[in-house]
Amino acid sequence: MGNNRIKRQIIAFLLLGVGVFAFVILNICIGSVRLSLQEIGLALTGRGSEETMARIVWDIRFPRTAAVLILGGALALSGYLLQTFFNNPIAGPFVLGISSGAKMVVALVMVFFMGRAVRVTQTAMILAAFLGAVLSMGFVLLMSRRVNSMSMLVVSGVMIGYICSAITELVVTFANDAQIVNLHNWSRGSFSGMTWENVRMMAVVVGVAFWLVFCLAKPLDAYRLGESYARNLGVNLRLLRVELVILSGVLSACIVAFAGPISFVGIAAPHLVKKLFGTAKPLLMVPACFLGGSVFCLFCDLLARTLLAPTELSVSTVTAIFGAPVVLWIMAERKRERTG
Amino acid sequence: MDYYFHTEQVSVGYQGKSLVKDIGIGLKKGEILTVIGPNGAGKSTFLKSVARQLAPVSGTVYLEQRDLAVMSGSELSKRMAVVFTEKMQTELMTCEDVAATGRYPYTGRFGILSKADREKVEEAMALVHVDEIREQDFSRISDGQRQRVMLARAICQEPEILVMDEPVTFLDIRHKLEFLSVLLELREQKELTVIMSLHELELAKLVSDKMLCLRGEYVERYGTPEEVFETDFIGRLYGIDEKTFIRNGKLLAYARQVGRMPEERS
Repeated sequence: MGNNRIKRQIIAFLLLGVGVFAFVILNICIGSVRLSLQEIGLALTGRGSEETMARIVWDIRFPRTAAVLILGGALALSGYLLQTFFNNPIAGPFVLGISSGAKMVVALVMVFFMGRAVRVTQTAMILAAFLGAVLSMGFVLLMSRRVNSMSMLVVSGVMIGYICSAITELVVTFANDAQIVNLHNWSRGSFSGMTWENVRMMAVVVGVAFWLVFCLAKPLDAYRLGESYARNLGVNLRLLRVELVILSGVLSACIVAFAGPISFVGIAAPHLVKKLFGTAKPLLMVPACFLGGSVFCLFCDLLARTLLAPTELSVSTVTAIFGAPVVLWIMAERKRERTG
Repeated sequence: MDYYFHTEQVSVGYQGKSLVKDIGIGLKKGEILTVIGPNGAGKSTFLKSVARQLAPVSGTVYLEQRDLAVMSGSELSKRMAVVFTEKMQTELMTCEDVAATGRYPYTGRFGILSKADREKVEEAMALVHVDEIREQDFSRISDGQRQRVMLARAICQEPEILVMDEPVTFLDIRHKLEFLSVLLELREQKELTVIMSLHELELAKLVSDKMLCLRGEYVERYGTPEEVFETDFIGRLYGIDEKTFIRNGKLLAYARQVGRMPEERS
């Protein structure tokens, strides 16, 4: 193990850490009202002159930034798990239709309960999203038994995504107006309107999932040489597969429940992080992908809020602009490796 | 019967259909068994079955008189290592990373290599002469180098028994001999038992204690190299008769071979 390699990994971690920190500050400072660090300090300590400023910082920007940080990391992590699971670098919750499946079930549940004037709790949302995520993952798994080509798997995932989106649209069309407004923003993917209550909930769910994924780093490492060798090394493959499906499902579900489907982060962030580190060792990749996803989403959300201010873009638009080229890059690179 | 490794009436195949039936082999510790036979004879299927990658259709495989099927994954991983032919798509792994995965059964909760583990990896890589490509990307080395790295990986696992599917196919003749002499070295040092398939019959003759010849539904022959290499047997095993293929020391074009009808060429 070269010293250079370790040095590179330390620097990469530092870069990601600094990136997260810098973007958190920027996300809190920049917005329809621009705030200086000093003003934020005053607002937080309660010595600020204006009540509104404290509220902007504490009730809007802080929870939103925290949510982007947590969900961005979760997105990248679930993408990383799916890529490992399907042995496919362009797998992710969005392209495999898992996000759309989760979205569909959440929309159904929301319309059903709102129609009866029952408030949908966060837990119910997450459970609904998880159900949807696991359902569409089940379909993708069924398809993966029949097709063994990487691109066909993604195509079937995209098709499942279309079917789920169509059903969601159908539901939304038949829902009444007030509900549509609510559903429409969310179904396009957005981090707006996060509360501290949301943040607490997602921190718990994602925190637990993250720890469990981290504990899988060792079997995932053995899995990198393929199933035969993993089996020979004593990895319980069936258990590992179930764990991967559940954990990536929980992570995808949590994102969809709170922010709706967000495209491409799950593919782009892990890929960029691997290039940055020059390794794909799971023990490093699990925390690194999380940080990478956070940086990526903080950056994209900042743009979504500020680019056409005061109009807010859907964050999926921005992530697609920066994420989709990465997917093309991956495909071109693989092609080159195979021929050259 | 106190074999170190033996099988009793093992039938191997896929989805409950046997490809080869009633295989009975018995090896003492430190013996080398080679499996030979034409393409598609079930050599790989047999090797997968003895390595517990594939459940036998019927019969039992024993390691020190214990049924392999009930052994725990972690115990087996410390006793048996494998080298298979399947192509792997590694992502950003150096040759050293690949070899180091062999230490998996011995590392802790998070799979972090200790100093002793690293030394074992280094030793294994030096033994098969891949230490100089340690830092190279595994997906960008030659097939021959890859086979040697995979042997280094298997050695890292410190197995008592090694199961390998055509481990020397992509090596040049010098490296083939070197590869096999490393196995003999390990046998002398650590009483390593080896089960492997080979296409190189001459080499199989040189290193084997026992040979298993597969062709068709049943074991064609099982015995020492002397028994297997008796007159004509090899020709029959592979369905070749020297006179058919060769005249005046040269290989004949297909249609010129005895018994082939020129008209059949289309």
